[in-house]
Amino acid sequence: MAAPASFLQPPTDSNPQHTLALSQRAAAYSKSQQSSFTLPYPLSLLSNTESQEKWATYENIFLACLRTGDNDSAYLCLEELTDRFGRTNERIMALQGLYKEATAQSQEQLEGVMREYDEILKANGAVFSIRKRRIALLKSMGRAAEAMSDLVSLLDVSPTDAEAWAELSDMYLQQGLYEQAVYCLEEVLLVMPNAWNMHAKLGEVLFLSAQKMEGGDQLKTLVESMRRSCRSIELCDDYLRGYYGLKLSTSRLLEALDGAVKPQKSSSDPVAGDLAPPSVESVKKLNQVATAKLSEIVRRASSGEKGWDGYNEAEVKAARELIDKSAQKIER
Amino acid sequence: MAGPVEQQIHRDPALFYWILLPITIVMILTGILRHYLTTLLQTAPKPPTPQKLRETRALHHAQLLRTQNPQIPRASFERRKETFITGAHAGAFLAGGPEAREKGKPNPLSDPAMMEGMMGAMKGNVAMMVPQSLIMGWINAFFAGYVIMKLPFPLTPQFKQMLQAGVGTRDLDVRWVSSLSWYFLTLFGLQPVYNFILGSNNAASQMQQQMQQQQMGGNPLGGAEDPNKVFVNEAENLEVVEYWSVLGGVEERVLGRLQAVA
Repeated sequence: MAAPASFLQPPTDSNPQHTLALSQRAAAYSKSQQSSFTLPYPLSLLSNTESQEKWATYENIFLACLRTGDNDSAYLCLEELTDRFGRTNERIMALQGLYKEATAQSQEQLEGVMREYDEILKANGAVFSIRKRRIALLKSMGRAAEAMSDLVSLLDVSPTDAEAWAELSDMYLQQGLYEQAVYCLEEVLLVMPNAWNMHAKLGEVLFLSAQKMEGGDQLKTLVESMRRSCRSIELCDDYLRGYYGLKLSTSRLLEALDGAVKPQKSSSDPVAGDLAPPSVESVKKLNQVATAKLSEIVRRASSGEKGWDGYNEAEVKAARELIDKSAQKIER
Repeated sequence: MAGPVEQQIHRDPALFYWILLPITIVMILTGILRHYLTTLLQTAPKPPTPQKLRETRALHHAQLLRTQNPQIPRASFERRKETFITGAHAGAFLAGGPEAREKGKPNPLSDPAMMEGMMGAMKGNVAMMVPQSLIMGWINAFFAGYVIMKLPFPLTPQFKQMLQAGVGTRDLDVRWVSSLSWYFLTLFGLQPVYNFILGSNNAASQMQQQMQQQQMGGNPLGGAEDPNKVFVNEAENLEVVEYWSVLGGVEERVLGRLQAVA
């Protein structure tokens, strides 16, 4: 993942190097697409330059260039895309809006973009790409409450949109509304049952929410958080966040189990269909396993071993800190 | 047993240049023409209204809830189930609002969106039928009754009908192919050629389109099902779902796997 920046991988928040590399190759790529040599008319039909990869690449380069501030190159990519798909294509409309948002100099210009969105939506309320852009714009303008209510109404129309549910859960999480965030993440899992990152994320949110609870409730939430992390690991063997969550939740759970000796028996009655609480040994074992695996990942990732270099640096660092902290505790 | 006597018919080589080739070329060209005609006549299907979209997605959501229930805790599942069941019975998810509950099956003739869809199908049919009948008539008028080629391999007599349409000679060897039959052969067999010329997504071959229509099946006027009924059905399905959790025993599974690896 790190070595040659793949054109087909969208530039994301968490991977600035990739984004930079992608935007630096923008000029070279657009040159490679305009080959000077084309066959005369009837033969040119046989050599087809159309492919999904080509347009996905253009879009990714566009996004990367906007992120790195290379607006001119971004505009060229956008032109190519618009020429190919037309102005009325929903995706292109969203990309155009994105470009205008990114190049807006003042608050008024942003308001102008917002008005354009409103106009498009007035004509056709089912353009989801524009609705989402509008929500994103509201959010970036600091009007989070409006963005959330918009998102909720979007999800009422389209309750199978995993992306939107995930975004809403993030927003709730920022407001500290854990229960709602959990609900949204569960919806994501309904649509994408095998998304290990979402299982891990749900585990994390549950862990956070458990900090505020007490007694049996806390225990139950911690157990579920631990199980979510387990599921995430089950789905993806070397997922760092899964192990991180597992380690956190198991250590916290061990503390909680130490504190409260017996009361969890009454809180989980089998009639309600709850899963039986795990035995202390298995929690301990899981904790050990998670620690071992985390240190292995940290060791291998920081030495740059082959096949282990795809981890996010910040995550590896956080994992190292966690291991060091727990090691200190044991020494004490 | 004496070997079968090889039938010899002396054909004018002009038959090849003036019948076999023209028929083939005309067939290919009509296919290409048909492809572009269909593309031209095709109107993009109208985007569904938000209400309609909401209806279909709510239904899809309920189906997901039914199939993916192991992913979420029991309490969450029960809560969503209750919400959907009450909503479905009250008609909260219907595109027409709760009042649409009693309307029953929508009449396809009264729905403009559906009328448009039927018009589109009709246009496609016209684009298919017209060239087909024209060419058939053309071939019948000009080339009927010619024997234009001989297959290089022997065949059983059953193929006589297929290969010698329009030639009423009983004793003719099956290997001789008449012009009308050549037309039929090209009609059915040019798909790969179109694929090569137009790409795999073409609308050139009418046979394929007809087959598709047959598969879609039934009367285009049959229309959709009553959405209210669909929702009530789904609610019933959801009610009888037996819940289980994917998290059950996950610790043991993970431990077993990791310890097996380590």
